[in-house]
Amino acid sequence: MNIWEILFYIFIFPGLTFLLLWTFFVFYFSRKALAYIHKRVGPHYNGPAGSLQTVWDIFKLLTKESITPKSADPYLFNIIPIITPLVAALPVILIPWTPIINHGHAILDTNYGVLGLVVLIGVEPFLLFLTGFGSHNKYSFLGGMRILAQMISMEAPFFLAALSPALLFGTMNLYDIMYSNTWLTTLILLPGAIIFIIAMLGILEQPPFNIPDAEQEIVYGFYTEYAGTNYVLLKFAEFTEILVVSAAAVTLFFGGYRGIFFDSFWWLFFKIVILAIIIVAIRASNPRLRLDQMLKFTWSWLTPLAILNLVWITFAKIYILGV
Amino acid sequence: MEKIKEVLNKFDMEYVEDYKPTWVKAKLKNKDDITKVVEALKEIGVRSCSTVSPTDYPEENRMEINYFLEDIENKKNVWLKVDIERDLEKCEIDSITPILESADYHELESYSTFGVKFKGHPNLRYFLISADYYGKFPFRKDFDWDEHEKNVIENVNKISEEFFEEYEENEETMGHEGSRTVLHWGPTHPASGPIRLKVYTNGENIEKVEPDIGYVWRALEKLAERKDFIGTIVAVERICFMDNTNPMICYAQAVEEIAGKEITPFAKYMRVILGELGRTVSHLISLGGFFGTMGLQTFLMWCLDVREYFLDVLEDYSGARIATACIEPGGVRYPLNDYKAWFAEIDKAIEKWESVKPDIEDIFLKNPLMTVRAKDIGIFTKDDVIDNYLQGPIARASNVKTDVRLDEPYAAYGELKMDYVTCENGDTRDRLYIIYKEINQSIDLMKQAMKKIEEGIEAGEMDPKKDHLVKMPRRMPEGEAVSRVEWARGEMLMHLVTMPKSTNPYRLKLKAPSVNHTRMLEKLLPNHTLSDIPLLYGSMHICQGDLDR
Repeated sequence: MNIWEILFYIFIFPGLTFLLLWTFFVFYFSRKALAYIHKRVGPHYNGPAGSLQTVWDIFKLLTKESITPKSADPYLFNIIPIITPLVAALPVILIPWTPIINHGHAILDTNYGVLGLVVLIGVEPFLLFLTGFGSHNKYSFLGGMRILAQMISMEAPFFLAALSPALLFGTMNLYDIMYSNTWLTTLILLPGAIIFIIAMLGILEQPPFNIPDAEQEIVYGFYTEYAGTNYVLLKFAEFTEILVVSAAAVTLFFGGYRGIFFDSFWWLFFKIVILAIIIVAIRASNPRLRLDQMLKFTWSWLTPLAILNLVWITFAKIYILGV
Repeated sequence: MEKIKEVLNKFDMEYVEDYKPTWVKAKLKNKDDITKVVEALKEIGVRSCSTVSPTDYPEENRMEINYFLEDIENKKNVWLKVDIERDLEKCEIDSITPILESADYHELESYSTFGVKFKGHPNLRYFLISADYYGKFPFRKDFDWDEHEKNVIENVNKISEEFFEEYEENEETMGHEGSRTVLHWGPTHPASGPIRLKVYTNGENIEKVEPDIGYVWRALEKLAERKDFIGTIVAVERICFMDNTNPMICYAQAVEEIAGKEITPFAKYMRVILGELGRTVSHLISLGGFFGTMGLQTFLMWCLDVREYFLDVLEDYSGARIATACIEPGGVRYPLNDYKAWFAEIDKAIEKWESVKPDIEDIFLKNPLMTVRAKDIGIFTKDDVIDNYLQGPIARASNVKTDVRLDEPYAAYGELKMDYVTCENGDTRDRLYIIYKEINQSIDLMKQAMKKIEEGIEAGEMDPKKDHLVKMPRRMPEGEAVSRVEWARGEMLMHLVTMPKSTNPYRLKLKAPSVNHTRMLEKLLPNHTLSDIPLLYGSMHICQGDLDR
């Protein structure tokens, strides 16, 4: 790997430019899709079909003053929005994005890919908790506490579900998992995939689990005090996380960039967009749960089901695949 | 009725007389008797206090206090008057709040606006006006604005100091018990509207709630005294923008009663149609807003989409979508030059509503997550409703049969087929369902009224171009009237007092339901978590416009 290659990975694909483009896209996409369900028009005037609206929005936010509240801890308050997107973007190197780069492997082709993904995704919420803690605002602090509660309970089923393909194929290498996946194994993994997607909604704070940043209850939680550039960075981290987690879901359960007739990045992208449509549809039709209801749901339903799913995978491995 | 009169006659009364089919009007001679009278009335079932309304007579040096007490179940109401002295030091009377708790906020309101001290009130404080208010009470006839302003400027330092004191004291630790924090929920909270709830929380659990109101207080009651009888409708309709037409009906009825005029049948049916339009428009926001409190905006958008069609109807008739000013004393303001076209517009709006109904039922009203959130929390029993005098949809959700349209039929409601719409359980979800049912009822009433008008026109009994308005006298005789309508959020009561040959109201008391509903939050919210505040608050369908007036 020469220096130009590394720079290309960092700045173009799958690094900064790609992530920025993705942020613009998913922001626009969720707005437009939600508007369609709401019977509204959504972004309309800037660019073709309003596509430039999000770009302008983000640049507008960048020009705004970044306010640090008097009572907040200035170092903690300002450093977390820089660390958060970096941590959110790290798992990108573990995912095999396209057949062109690195012979179809991930940039960091390791035998512990699943483990790495799960750990790097799991670190993120603690940083967001620190944003709430550093803001020294009652609502932000409550948001931070809620994030912790939600993460501790959601990560158990999330990890257990992520383990199911590793268990089935006997490897933690994402490339191998992707290539071992067939129509039959996709079906076997389907319960695991559903648990993974439900837990994913909790990890990404998407409705009906958008409890930590509930605007009607605690005024956007940990986002309350953030403005301008810091806010953009936090939002960037959020959308990057959405990309990483849904790409992980697709790679683990639905064969990544492999597709019918040809293998390509666009297949991966297509599958991610289908996931995004599901997320938006759930968001548009379901109200938010209460914190205690969410805890009850994860610990008495989702986690036991995730464990049962592992039993089913073991069963299927022995009796259906006959390995 | 006879029973109430019997009880009242036991006391020293100036007069006891019938007033309208459902009211007994009486005047008490001695103000010290008031608690005894109220206690005796409570024993025979008059358990709710609708409102307390002082009227100021500076020339006679007296303040007349009107109590409107209601027996919701048996539809018997008492209008009790008593005179007290006007001087600030002597202007006091025993509080009836310990007996009828629904009088609580109404007494506070009279205290803050007229300075009537209620002895024995559990927490007498300034209420609509800010806690640091200096100077004379604003609704008294001799209130002087310039003097008031001077007072405020002189005391500005003291006012700000008090504010900072309050700002400091909002966090305390309780050792191993946790800590108590005061969260200011509003007035700039995304889900609150212009009201502040001081929420005392321990972690996520609510221990106590204190509503702080008055952020949109416009002194409409005082404003009405400065306008003529027609101009007052503009003040009255601004109680709340959501249901715009019904307050005007209420006010117009009071004026007509004093003038002794009867409006035409055509105008009566028009009032039904316009009133139900206003109710539908308001309920559509309530319906969508309920889900908005749980972070789901889709339903609100759908409801607003339907609402636009109903607003189109109002615009077609009056030229305005929100503040229509389309009902005035004597009938309705405009003739219907092309009634068929207007009815077609209504039919279009109804059709739009019918077309989204199946989707609404399947996606939202049967939504499992909504059921998980809203079922079996915030239950009101029948006693809660009567003791705290919850009204309108909130009362009917708890299976209390109360509806002014049926209890005391006004406009043309007596000639239309309708029945009480109720739900069984009285929980938060029922307060959503009742709204949905009422929209359907309103639409049914509109259809009936349109049919009656069409029949009337075909039979030659009604002339839509001439019958809309009866000529009203320019100067009103001396009089006093109470008028009630069923507003979108509950009973609206107006108490109008006029002087001989007057051109403007002497006193207009506006009573709106959100006051009692806001008071109920104090009891409803404790022992729930922070997540439930927006939901329970939203389920009370409170509008700050009519809360503050």
